[in-house]
Amino acid sequence: MLQCIFLLSDSGEVMLEKQLTGHKVDRSICAWFWEEAISQGDSFKLLPVIASPTHYLFQIVREGVTFLACTQVEMPPLMGIEFLCRVADVLVDYLGGLNEDLIKDNFVIVYELLDEMIDNGFPLTTEPNILREMIAPPNIVSKMLSVVTGNSSNVSNTLPGATASCVPWRTADLKHASNEVYVDLVEEMDAIISRDGILVKCEIYGEVQVNSHLSGLPDLTLSFANPSILNDVRFHPCVRFRPWESNQILSFVPPDGEFKLMSYRIKKLKHTPLYVRPQLTSDAGTSRLSVLVGIRDDPGKTIDNVTVHFQLPPCVASADLTSNHGTVNILADKTCSWSIGRIPKDKAPSMSGTLVLESGLERLHVFPTFRVDFKIMGVALSGLQIDKLDLKNLPSPPYKGFRALTRAGEFEVYNE
Amino acid sequence: MAPPALPQKSPSPSQPSGKGEVADLKIQLRQHAGSRAPGADDAKRELFKKVISYMTIGVDVSSLFSEMVMCSATSDIVLKKMCYLYVGNYAKGNPDLALLTINFLQKDCRDEDPMIRGLALRSLCSLRLANLVEYLVGPLGSGLKDNNSYVRTVAAIGVLKLYHISAATCVDADFPSTLKALLLKDSDAQVVANCLSALQEIWSLEAATSEEASREREALLSKPVIYYLLNRIKEFNEWAQCLVLDLVVKYIPSDSNEIFDIMNLLEDRLQHANGAVVLATIKVFLHLTLSMTDVHQQVYERIKAPLLTLVSSGSQEQSYAVLSHLHLLVMRAPMLFSSDYKHFYCQYNEPSYVKKLKLEMLTAVANESNTYEIVTELCEYAANVDVPIARESIRAVGKIALQQYDVNAIVDRLLQFLEMEKDYVTAETLVLVKDLLRKYPQWSHDCIAVVGNISSKNVQEPKAKAALIWMLGEYSQDMLDAPYILESLIENWDDEHSAEVRLHLLTAILKCFFKRPPETQKALGAALAAGLADSHQDVHDRALFYYRLLQYNVSVAESVVNPPKQAVSVFADTQSSEIKDRIFDEFNSLSVIYQKPSYMFTDKEHRGPFEFSEDLGSLSVGVESADTVSPAQRVEASDNDLLLSTSEKEESRGPSNNGSAYSAPVYDGSSISMAASQTQSVPTFQNQALPAYTPQAILAIDDLLGLGPSVAPAPAAAPPPSPPPLKLNPKAVIDPSTFQRKWGQLSVSLSKEISMGSKGAAALTTPQVLLRHMQGHSIQCIASGGQAPNFKFFFYAQKAEEPAAFYLVECVVNTFSSKAQIKFKAEDQSTNHAFSALFQSALSTLGMS
Repeated sequence: MLQCIFLLSDSGEVMLEKQLTGHKVDRSICAWFWEEAISQGDSFKLLPVIASPTHYLFQIVREGVTFLACTQVEMPPLMGIEFLCRVADVLVDYLGGLNEDLIKDNFVIVYELLDEMIDNGFPLTTEPNILREMIAPPNIVSKMLSVVTGNSSNVSNTLPGATASCVPWRTADLKHASNEVYVDLVEEMDAIISRDGILVKCEIYGEVQVNSHLSGLPDLTLSFANPSILNDVRFHPCVRFRPWESNQILSFVPPDGEFKLMSYRIKKLKHTPLYVRPQLTSDAGTSRLSVLVGIRDDPGKTIDNVTVHFQLPPCVASADLTSNHGTVNILADKTCSWSIGRIPKDKAPSMSGTLVLESGLERLHVFPTFRVDFKIMGVALSGLQIDKLDLKNLPSPPYKGFRALTRAGEFEVYNE
Repeated sequence: MAPPALPQKSPSPSQPSGKGEVADLKIQLRQHAGSRAPGADDAKRELFKKVISYMTIGVDVSSLFSEMVMCSATSDIVLKKMCYLYVGNYAKGNPDLALLTINFLQKDCRDEDPMIRGLALRSLCSLRLANLVEYLVGPLGSGLKDNNSYVRTVAAIGVLKLYHISAATCVDADFPSTLKALLLKDSDAQVVANCLSALQEIWSLEAATSEEASREREALLSKPVIYYLLNRIKEFNEWAQCLVLDLVVKYIPSDSNEIFDIMNLLEDRLQHANGAVVLATIKVFLHLTLSMTDVHQQVYERIKAPLLTLVSSGSQEQSYAVLSHLHLLVMRAPMLFSSDYKHFYCQYNEPSYVKKLKLEMLTAVANESNTYEIVTELCEYAANVDVPIARESIRAVGKIALQQYDVNAIVDRLLQFLEMEKDYVTAETLVLVKDLLRKYPQWSHDCIAVVGNISSKNVQEPKAKAALIWMLGEYSQDMLDAPYILESLIENWDDEHSAEVRLHLLTAILKCFFKRPPETQKALGAALAAGLADSHQDVHDRALFYYRLLQYNVSVAESVVNPPKQAVSVFADTQSSEIKDRIFDEFNSLSVIYQKPSYMFTDKEHRGPFEFSEDLGSLSVGVESADTVSPAQRVEASDNDLLLSTSEKEESRGPSNNGSAYSAPVYDGSSISMAASQTQSVPTFQNQALPAYTPQAILAIDDLLGLGPSVAPAPAAAPPPSPPPLKLNPKAVIDPSTFQRKWGQLSVSLSKEISMGSKGAAALTTPQVLLRHMQGHSIQCIASGGQAPNFKFFFYAQKAEEPAAFYLVECVVNTFSSKAQIKFKAEDQSTNHAFSALFQSALSTLGMS
């Protein structure tokens, strides 16, 4: 079980220490960890699970803040990591972000949260809805309230009713002035396109995100028009398993606010919305690079925020790249990014230029991988469609909203 | 990245240096202590916040303890929380002052607000002070009966905290059975989960001493309890589900129907949003079906999708942990994953530890149908900007080639790598081509043609250079200018820094000489001369050896240095299948991440043996051997000490004891049997013709055989008057901490150095040999370590029918000099000599069976 949690700033300073068991973990472990992180050069590359001379450390890094947990006994590693991720999520939720200053300004709240999230090294509750009822977030509203009511405590006076209810993620009687529920399909496309332009791998990882502001104990059912395309699904604990198993219907009592109802994976897609055609030719110490980007399979909506990133090989001495659309940036560490923005309907954006190689090199043998970012509003590229959303147990008919969004996940194109 | 600014070393200017600010705070706290004025709470809050923030950045504010306690009489819950936090942090250092807090904590435990009751109880239990234990029992007892589930949740864990402070108090108050009652009937799932986690820990710690506790621990795994928990599993939160699933893994179902019932019940857990739950469920599935081959395979198919989804969702850290588990499964059953190879393709942005795992999986799943695509993908990485991964990818291509799939295409690819003219690519490829040629000599023509074109000047890495030189030597008949390349390398002998390369150079030039003597003779002479003058011992020795071999007989030399070779069919696997199985058993644990079974790394961590091993590690390896062992070796030896194998483990594998008090099966052919002898004897007749009874007498026989200790164990003092023949308890048990305590308390009663005899020393290849041997003599080992030639053991034995009389032995063996240094400590001084004799006789018979 976890023995201690440390929060380190991006300069290695201990911002917070929470001892969990009787075996006190000395702070020197952080010094050891930080030296290790420095010697690895890039803390990003450091393993999430590290064996120090005295402890096993779990670490995750979020926005420059390192969450470090120590243990001396065997335990499920994913439990440690998953827990730290939840702590980070909850802190972001509470503090409206995550950085050194926010944590230092609100460390009392962080302590309070940790106190409720883990006891004696074993995770208790990480459900944001429950925590929010035990410890009020430090937002302007609560500050206002405290001024008006004179109650300066940021702790609610009542224990969350949910701890005793059979729907632990929801308070017993919620009241909203206007009842509304929004369902978003958010998809990420992962793809690898080979140097011959062949789609080596194309997959969608998607989430059904729900934002619910409903009174009482509403019972929702959500069904898809084509659930058979889903390859694998994972559910929020509120989803009832049987209706899904028999009819592929999501039946649930939602938590209040935003939550991830379901995540899914769809394999073996046949098309990408974009094509990216890089071409590299070398001759006598200089290489010519050209990249063409265009719409391959029109999704029917505009493709936005298109950016192409790549890393020039170290043997390139200088590069001169220009584009007919958007801007090209080359940083000192030889990372290039070509921001295209929205793809114009009338022309295909292209970027080209020359790379001067280090002296003595005839041609390039090391090639960059092109990573592509894009965002398409209003469409789920997997083709998944929501059929209908039914709500029961509601005093008044609610407003229902649906949206969809697809963006690039790991979308990579190998050089031709 | 910013330079390391360690707070301890370089406090930033804004940080308080301590003294002044703390004193200031003290005064302010005093001012507010008794104030009930409106707004006092707000002022206190600011002060408390300051104190806590100092505490957080590491400034010692423990001197404010009494002031903080004084200020803690408040109804403001935030103030309370900060105060609890402060008190919890500094109570250990101020046990007397902490007593002051008890009063208000106890009062809070009776507050009408359940939130405050719970918080106070948690803080009270978190003080962890032995002198406050008596104040804990009451609040805990009422906490467990509280009508609010939040308080019960806190109380259940509080019992565990109390147990760690004072086990006796906890057991006397009968808390474990209260917890058990709660476990089986509480309406709140979190209370049930906390009871379970507390009980598991308490009973497994108690089980060492109490049979009832071990029965209770077993009872947790009984069908009714397991079924009760499984039926409620959906009520538990995700973390509690992990706990329950972890318990279910240990449950042994009675028949296959039960197995299917459990799996049906848990199947939807595979779709849980929390990865930890998914992995815990997978572990249950895998373990339940271990003995059902078909179903086990279906389980693999079933868990594949959730695992792959987990990898692609979540953060990088999570996906690494999942990937490690996937890696384990892929390595166990690669064919089941062969169609999913695309999931193991690396993404540019992934950290290199993830890419490495993926490359290994790609290598494992390669088969006839997907090799082409996998190798094509790997070749992309080889040409990529990420150099370490490019190297790994080339190695992966090589490994796939060695697995014998579509070698044709792969060899072409490898040869293309050589044409890329990237030094690291060339280097890695050369090493691979060498291995490939050892397995598929038929490719030598194609490879040699390309390798011959590589200028040795472009190859700098020792491993690659050695590989190139090996090929030059091995295929010198096919490579026209092999002798001349080797010759030029030999000319630059002094510039060659790697001894490995120089060794290879010597061997290669000799092989070349056998094939093309006239062209090579001069270079060979130069190489041998340079080798003889080399400062590296191995190089010098090899040169000398070749020189003498050649002097003796050239054809013999050829048969030694360049015998006809058989193609290697399988390269040795680095990890034994036994270890792999063991890791598999520990699925969903750190073992999987480290790719080592947990006994290889956690043993040192468990409290008892760990402290002990530190102690052991700090002891010198022995006076005599200390001179001969280089520091590096000594470090290694003490490193191994950390991987102690404790006696319990050995017991299960060691030979079963036949129950006789002392048997010497090796040499009792005629009439010697210690166990049978009940007559009293005086152990002074060392040369008695048929010595039957005493340990010393046995030693005398050993001496006659010339195998025993060369130094007769003549006790310096007169032997004690008629000691009874020493009978040892064959099933003596002592736990490491007790051993360590006794070892610390007792003084060395006897210390000697004996010779073991060459046979004994020769048999002692691993510590386990001696360990088992001594076990046959009712002498148990509690810790062993070291590496040939130095081993170190701690033994213990117990006099039969006298539980108090333990004998403790430290034994340092040097197998090289066949000497053993032994230190005896005994609780019963009167029989100490008898025991030492017995021990030595047992030791001397090692290697004779």
